[in-house]
Parts: sequence; structure tokens; C-alpha cells
Amino acid sequence: MRKLLAAVMAIMMVLSCVSFAAADEKPITVTVFRGDPGDQPTEDNRIYKMIEDEFGIKFEIEFLAGDLDETLGTKIAGEDFPDLFDGGNSAEKLINAGALINLLDYISAEKTPNLWKHIEALLPQLVNENGELFIIPNYGINYHEQVVNACNGPAFFIQKQVLAWDNYPEIKTLDQYFDLIERFIAANPTNANGAKYEGFAILCEDWRHFCLINPVQHLMGQPNEGEVYINRTADENGKYAVETFIDKPYAKAYYAKLNEMFNKGLINPDTFTMTYDQYIAKLSAGTVLGMFDQTWDFGTATAALETAKMYENTYVALPLVYDEAYGFGAIEEQYLNGGVPNKDRGFGISVNCEYPERMVNLFENLLSDRWQKILQWGIEGVDYYVENGRMLMTKEQYSVRSDAAWKMANQALTIWESAPKKQGLQDDGNTWAPADQGEILQLTMSDYDKAFLAAYNHGKWADFFNAPCELAPWGEAWQIDKAPMQDDYDKFLLIQDQQLPKIIMSKNAEELDANWDAFVAEIKPYADIYAAFMQDEVNKLAAQATK
Amino acid sequence: MTSVSIKKKGRKPMQRDIVFPIANGIFLCILMFVTLYPVINTVAISFNDGIDAVRGGIGLWPRKFSTEAYNSLLSDKLTWNAFGISVARTVITTLLNLLFTSMLAFALSRKEFVFRKFITLAVVLTMYVNAGLIPNYLLISKTLKLSKTFWVYIIPTMFSCFNMIVIRTYITGLPEALVESARIDGANDMRIFWQIIFPLCMPVLATVALFVAVGSWNQWFDTQLYNGGKKYLHTLQYLLKMKLATSMNTANAANASVDALASQAAAKTTPVTIRCAITVVSALPILVVYPFLQRYFVTGMVLGGVKG
Amino acid sequence: MTSAANRIKPMQPAKKWRFLKTLWDQKWLLVMSVPVLLYVCLFNYYPLWGWRYAFQNLDLYTIKKGADYIGFGNFEWLFKEKYFWLGFRNTLAMSLINLVFGTLASVLLAILLNEVRSRAFKRTVQTVTYLPHFLSMVIVVGMAQNMFVSDGPINTVLMNLGVIDKPIWWLGEGKYFWFLVGLINIWKEVGWNSIIYISTMTSIDPTLYEAAAIDGAGRFNRILHVTLPGIKSTFVVLMIMNIGHLMEAGFEIQYLLGNKQVYDFSQTIDVFVLEYGIQNNKYGRAIAAGMFKSVIGIILLFSANFVAKKLDEDTLL
Repeated sequence: MRKLLAAVMAIMMVLSCVSFAAADEKPITVTVFRGDPGDQPTEDNRIYKMIEDEFGIKFEIEFLAGDLDETLGTKIAGEDFPDLFDGGNSAEKLINAGALINLLDYISAEKTPNLWKHIEALLPQLVNENGELFIIPNYGINYHEQVVNACNGPAFFIQKQVLAWDNYPEIKTLDQYFDLIERFIAANPTNANGAKYEGFAILCEDWRHFCLINPVQHLMGQPNEGEVYINRTADENGKYAVETFIDKPYAKAYYAKLNEMFNKGLINPDTFTMTYDQYIAKLSAGTVLGMFDQTWDFGTATAALETAKMYENTYVALPLVYDEAYGFGAIEEQYLNGGVPNKDRGFGISVNCEYPERMVNLFENLLSDRWQKILQWGIEGVDYYVENGRMLMTKEQYSVRSDAAWKMANQALTIWESAPKKQGLQDDGNTWAPADQGEILQLTMSDYDKAFLAAYNHGKWADFFNAPCELAPWGEAWQIDKAPMQDDYDKFLLIQDQQLPKIIMSKNAEELDANWDAFVAEIKPYADIYAAFMQDEVNKLAAQATK
Repeated sequence: MTSVSIKKKGRKPMQRDIVFPIANGIFLCILMFVTLYPVINTVAISFNDGIDAVRGGIGLWPRKFSTEAYNSLLSDKLTWNAFGISVARTVITTLLNLLFTSMLAFALSRKEFVFRKFITLAVVLTMYVNAGLIPNYLLISKTLKLSKTFWVYIIPTMFSCFNMIVIRTYITGLPEALVESARIDGANDMRIFWQIIFPLCMPVLATVALFVAVGSWNQWFDTQLYNGGKKYLHTLQYLLKMKLATSMNTANAANASVDALASQAAAKTTPVTIRCAITVVSALPILVVYPFLQRYFVTGMVLGGVKG
Repeated sequence: MTSAANRIKPMQPAKKWRFLKTLWDQKWLLVMSVPVLLYVCLFNYYPLWGWRYAFQNLDLYTIKKGADYIGFGNFEWLFKEKYFWLGFRNTLAMSLINLVFGTLASVLLAILLNEVRSRAFKRTVQTVTYLPHFLSMVIVVGMAQNMFVSDGPINTVLMNLGVIDKPIWWLGEGKYFWFLVGLINIWKEVGWNSIIYISTMTSIDPTLYEAAAIDGAGRFNRILHVTLPGIKSTFVVLMIMNIGHLMEAGFEIQYLLGNKQVYDFSQTIDVFVLEYGIQNNKYGRAIAAGMFKSVIGIILLFSANFVAKKLDEDTLL
């Protein structure tokens, strides 16, 4: 009750301060499309209420329920554009169709200082060949520094209990990793309930096949570039050499290792037909000892394990590389990459919008420190409190933020997610994202995890990794749009999806060699086309970034 | 041949009449078990705790009881509005569709009708040609200006060829004498249809009503295409579909935002339970209405009187 | 209407007058049918101008600007593509399995239900068997996948019964895929599809059964000589319609149950169109494949109708 009262007071205070600002602009309703599913905010959502009071703007939001391309296609065919148009992962299609206005007509250092400061440094990379900018990235622009507490991306994962069982060893290479799993499973074939352990799982379902086809680049010491290996030192012409890695000998080494593990019974053939749901179920049951994946991809399983207090079955991310004995040189791991601006993702303003200037001004105002705090942290005294200059949350304040119904009434989620936002650190050293704040992380961490980190003398999970490297001039190569060569790209992936499991399941060394040679022969034409295409794109992006 | 042998051994038919019903009963019971088990399993999962359910292995009873999945679906005030829209569209579509479909079925069942062959062909071919998404969208949204209205749920679905054929076949099976005697009495085609054929077609009309109603009730795509931006015109199925998509999106959280990961950890529902709860929520109204329709086609009508 | 007018022209005045008289006599039939005819012209035939996209190099995003005509380029691309033909084969195979066994199963279920005396039992069984129709394919396939994994219940039972001595990799070997799809489809839809036959059986004159009983026909003979003839025309008409739909094997179940290990057997034309047309933003290809399907469907439809006519059965057209 007291909280509620405080909320009302806070809102009234804000209202009294700013109500005059909106006086000269007539109230409008803005139509919004977001290329992601979502819940409609409640009628009495307090943050939207604040936006309406201050700017005179209400939103009518449409979310995506079905297929994105299909939905965008119909909108483009009928020219049914909303005012604010977030095309999700197909936003470049909107740009190509001429659905969005060039924002640079409205953004300048004088008129919109916040926005200008936000994009100024990145501008050469963000604009297209004609110097136009249609969408300001919704994520990936950090202030002061990028906050990295854990590895949220790709890594090899292993159950914490396996490391604990071996007295917390340093696991640096692929061979150490599989050796440990092998020894653990030999000593403990089943868990306490008698369920058999599975040594290593490989998820191959649909677009999640990166668990099968991506690891090799990381073993060679490169952050995630998708399906290509890029030499990060430019040659004398300023070019970066790009090649596909999957058809190279240094890839064969990995799949040969998996084959060895398969024949030792550490990999179950069902892993190749497993659906995502089955994968999550297995991980949640705590019977899978290791896998290659990205942290966000199995968050549900982590949540299930933590809820069941099976902390020893949760996973820790390890940055593995090839041993020097493989003959690919001494490799230093580089899994973490610099912050990547989410280029061409977020709100654009459509050509049908009657008040583009007002929209740009809205984003300009929302990018102010005051509004960023409101959007990300909420209202002081209600959603968070300040102690010695540190922005903090109680356990309740933090946990309520995950409640879907609460979010619909107390956050302006849709607008916040698609609009330009500040990430990294505030000027006073607090983080912009509450979940990045060290104190809040400690608050939510289990005792098991604290002890586990202490055993390694680490303060946070990211300490298992080298510090993020500087972002390459081309960003991350997986972001490059493959539409111009989609057919060949699809074949390139399909051959990997079909053949790699066969290689892993080879019965002996001869069969493995034969399968591998057949695979290389089949994929070569497509790999060549893909590599050439990616080389061109990387060249273009690198040239643009240094302009 | 068989009938001869039956006559010879007088007691055999009696014996068979015991064996067959029992065997039949047992078989149907097994079939019921096989079909019922997954259905009950779905209901059980829907009442299970979301995070716990991802571990799988739930049988006929929830392992960790929770109504959170239903809460998240039904607590939204828009749900009841959407439910109303869905009921309205289903009822109106079903009535109009039955009317037009059965009228055409009757007309095309008349052998003497001059355009019978032509219209039959024209209508049947519609089942095998499809222009694709975009032209249909432009027709409905731009030419007919039906988008952002309730009528987009009704007007494009007022007729169904498959059902027309089903009804026509049924009418053809009725005794021709019925129509002829009515005609001798001076009734015109419209009256024959309304007063004689229509009432006799109850079993097939109930079947077709079921098909149309279920189809209309389960439709969500038209909402997405035409009324996605109008939250008070959202249908229940669209809303449910959106809830599921949102829940799956949180579970994927590929946008790598730290907050999203934190949400996942504390989520009370997961796609697994939401999906099952959606099944229950969307099937329940149909199951409630079902017995009223089922009466007509399972137990049948008393035809004898009319036929005599 | 114009075609009717054209047809009248060469007729003799007497004939013409007679035709108009017929039209007048059948005015109520016209009232009942012409509105629907106009309706399908608007909603089904008018949008077919979109078929011109099949001859264009078109993606969804440039649809407004228009695209270049490339003649039969899209068709050529389709016919050269290995997976299009694999998809064609798989579509036909899965549809046929579904048509033959699915129809048999639903007719059988309808007959068995028709033999049940107790109304309550009959209604219960009927209600229960149609329930799976309401489960989404995702749920159904998910359950099937858990049943058929290597160490799942199916393999355990088969091994305990001694039918097999080592687990079968049901989900990873292409040769089982069609069979699994058929099984799941039949299980899910048998109750729903039998509704039509059950409702048709209610129109069978009960006196026919009495007469048959008096003649001393056993249960089997009554089914053979009364029930089956009673549903024959429905059966034939549905058969003809469904043969025309053989190109529609769906894509949801294949998409969900399939994986890259069984890709050569799971790919249907619809999945192919989804992957290489819609997702790759090649709208022209999708339309071309749709036209191909339509043409094959219509050929099959007319053939089936023709055969039915030759056999002197009820026909669709």
C-alpha cells in the first residue's frame, strides 16, 4: 500500500513538473508495428501514462503472431505502414521497399543533441552507400564501457559438478574437456536416481544447428563470425582474408574427435534427431554433461535446474581451443567480442507517418538520462532505491520485473525495446541495465555458485574468458545479409546438416576419411561461392568503416 | 452363401451377437484409451508448473500443480473481449455459411437445373486453385476495404465448397419422391428446400455446422493480416497464438539482453505449459457445444414418418 | 450469364422461348445458386490474376514496384531442382498412405460405432475419438517423438516382445518417415473424419436393416448389403475430391517431425515452397509451384471423376 502511494506521489510530481511541456502539441495516437510477438500493455500502464502526459502521444501497437516475412510482405504490397515500423529481423526489406524515411534529415548536433551524440562515432558504419540512415540500432551502443559479467554467447559448456568432481581444474583445450567428461562418466555412469549420463549433446534442429556447425572457428581462436574464418590482420591492401572453415582440415580434427567420442558411447545418436523441446528436457533433467551452445539458447533449462535447486547440474561456459599438438599453432582463445551495434534493427519512421519530426523528438527526449532511468530502472523509491550513489533493488523489486503481468502494467516495454537506448555505464558509474549492476548480480546468485566461483578465485563468470577483443571493422560477419545468394547458402548449410552427423557416426577411421572426403567434394562448390560473397561483403564493410 | 449356413445352424447367430458386441466394445475401449491418454496428458501438463514441465515425463496427473499458465492466458482483460469477438464471428459465420452452402447444395442436387453442370464445375474448381496470399490480401484489404472491421471475419468465409458437396450428396440420397409429390402439390423450389429438404438434412447440417464452426473458431491468421493493430477486434485464437509466440520469444531471448535472461529464470510459465493450456482453452467451448450438434448426427433423425 | 446468352443465339425461336421458360420455372434455383457463383468469382477467381507473378522474378518486397517478366524461368528452376522432385514424390506417397489408410480407418470406425447399441457408449466413444483433432500438431508430434526415440517406449516394448533385438532409429532413418506420418495423421483425424460417415449412416432407412434381418442376414451381411451401400455415394464423392487433393500432404507435420537426417523423405512440395519460395523471398517460385500443384490436382480430379463415371458410380461433377 505504501508503495502504491509512493508511486502515485512520484507520478504526480513528475506530472506537475512537465504538464506544461505538452500544452502546445495536440494529442496524437501513433500506430506501431513490432516484428516480434508481445503482450499489449494495460490501459493504465504507468510509464505509457507518463509518456502520454509529457508528449501527448498514445500508442496503438501491433505485434507479430505469425511469420515475419509474410506479414511484412502484405504490408508492403498494400502500403499499410504504421507510423513506427520495427521490421524485426527483416527490417532491411522495409528499407529496400522504400517504406522508411531517412532519419538524417531530422537529426543534427543542434536539433537533437542526444541522438547525435548517440550515433556520431558509429555513423560511417551505420549509413548506407548513399549516406542515409533509416534505423537507429536498438541495442549495442555502449556508454563509457561494455559491461561483461558473463558469456552470453557461444562456448563449450560443462556441468559444474564435473569440474567440482575433478577438484576445479583449468580446462583450456578440447582434449582436456573430453578427457574430463570421459573420466567422469567412467566413474559415475549414472546420477543418484539411476539415470544414465550423456557425455556430449549436439542440438541440430533447424536454425539452432549452430551447435553442430559453428564450434570450429572458436577452437581456432576467433569470436562468432557465423560460417567463415576471417584473418583479423589485414594484408598490405587493407583486405581481410575470408574463408569457409567447415571444409578445411582444421575442421576435420573436431569432427574426428566427436567421432571418437561417439564410438566410445559418449554421444547418443538421438542427438541428431532431437528437437529443441527434447534438448531442453534433457538438460533440465541434469543428465547431459556437456555441449556446445550459446547461453541464451538454453536459459529455460538453467531456470528449471535452479528452481529445482540442482545447482551442480547447471553449466559453466568454457573457452576451449585446439591443443598445440593438433598442429594448428599455439591458439589463444577469443570467444568474447566487443559490443556489436544492432545495425538496421529497431524503429524506423514510415513514409506514411504524418509527424516524423515529433517522432524523432520523442526518441531524442527518451534518450535523455532522466527518461533512460525511467525506462530501464523505473521510478526511484518505487522500482529501485539509491544508497551511497548506487542504484539498487531489493529482491522483490528485482524479481517482479520478470512477471509478465507486472511488465504489461509497469514498463513501456515495446517502446523501450525498439527505440535507441543507452547501455554500458552511466556517468556516475551505475550500469544502465539493472541486471548488469554488480550488487544486483550478487543478490540473485546462489550460494553454490558463489562457492564455485570462489574455488576458481573468480569474481564473475566472464573471468573464465579473455577480455572482449575490439570489434572488427565488419562487425560480426554472421550479421551480413545473405539474401543475394540465399539458394547457394541454403545448400551450403543443408550439406553440413546432412553430412556432419554421418561423419560423426562413422564406424572407424577409414569410413571417417571416406565420409569426410565425400563431404568436402559435395560442399566445395557452394563453399567457394559463399566464401567469395562473404569476402566481398567484408571488404565493403571494412572500407566503409575506415572512411 | 453365409445366409444359407446361418439358417442351417439356428443358434449360431445368437452366439455371434454376443461375441461381436463384446469384441467391438473392447476394441473401442482400447481405441478410447489410445486417444484419451495424450489428451489427458495435455490437460495434466497445462496444470503443471511451467519450469518443472520442461523436464518432461508428466503422465496423467500434474507433478507440480499450478494454474499459472491459465492465469497468464486469462488474466488479460482483452481475453474476454477477444472471446466475445470469437463467439460472434463463429456464430454469424456458421449461420450464413450454412444458409448459402445448403441453398447451393439443394440447387445443384436438382437434376433438371440448367446450369447445374456449369456451376458445379465452377465451384468445385475453387478447391484446387489458389491465388496465393498477396492477391487475396489486396482484394480484401484494398478493393473491398474490409480490413480493420469485424466483417473481414464473416464475408470471406460465407461459403465452403467441400461442405456444399457433402450436403448435396446427402440430399441426392434422399427419396426423389419427396420433391415430386411436393411439386405436384404446387410448392416452388424455395418452399421445397425450406420446408422439406432443410429439416431432413439436420444430420448433415449439424456435421457441416461443426466443420464450419471449428474452422472459424480456430482461425487466427485473418486477425493477424487485417486486424492486428486493432486490439478490440482481436480474436481469442489470435490472442492465444500471440501469448504462445511471446512465451517462446522470451525462451529464445536471442536479442541477448540481460534482462530477458533474468526474466527467463523467473518465468512461471514456459511454452510447454502455455501450449497445452491454449489447447484446453480453445477446445473447451467447442466441447461444450458439441453434444447439441452430436445429437443430430450420432443418434440420427426419425426418417420413417416422412418416408412412409 | 453471357455464356448462357451466347448459347441461346443459334437456337430456333421455339427453342429459345422454351429455354427462357425453363429459366423462369427454375427462378428459385437461380436465386439459390447465382449469388454463390458471383461470390466465388469474386473471392476465388478474381485474385487469380496474381498467377502472373509465376512468370515474374518477384520478391514480396518489391511487389509494388513490379518486376521483370522472365517467362517460364521459375518453372524451369523448379523442374531442375532435385528437392522439388523429391518433394513431389514424398507428397504423393504420404497423401496416398493417408488417403487409403485414413479413409479405411474412418469408415471402419463409423461402421463399428454404428453397430453399438448403447447410445451413451456410442456418444462417448465418438466424442473421445474426435478429441485429438483439437490437439495442435506441435503437441501431437512432440509426443510421438518422445514415444519413438531410441530408448523410448516403442522400442522397449518391441524389444521385450522379441520383435527386434536392437533399438530401431525411427526418427533418423528416412524409410520410416512416411509410415510415422501416416500413423500420426490417422490417429489424430480418424474420429473427426468418421463424423461424415456416421452422419451419413443416420440417413439409412432403418426398415432396410429390419428387412435384412427378416431375410436372415447376419451382422456381417447387413453391414455389407445395407450399411456400405448406404454410405457409398458419400464415400465415392469424398474419394474423388481427395484424389484431387493428393498434392496436399501438408507441411506442418513434416516440418515438425522431420530433421535433416530424413530430409530426402520428409520434404514435401509445400515444405519446399516454404523454404525455397517464401523464406527465400522468391514469391514467383512459390506461385509457380502453386500453379503446378493446381494443374496436377485438377488432372487427378477429372481422372478420378472419369473413372467413377465409367464404373457407373456417383460422380462429383
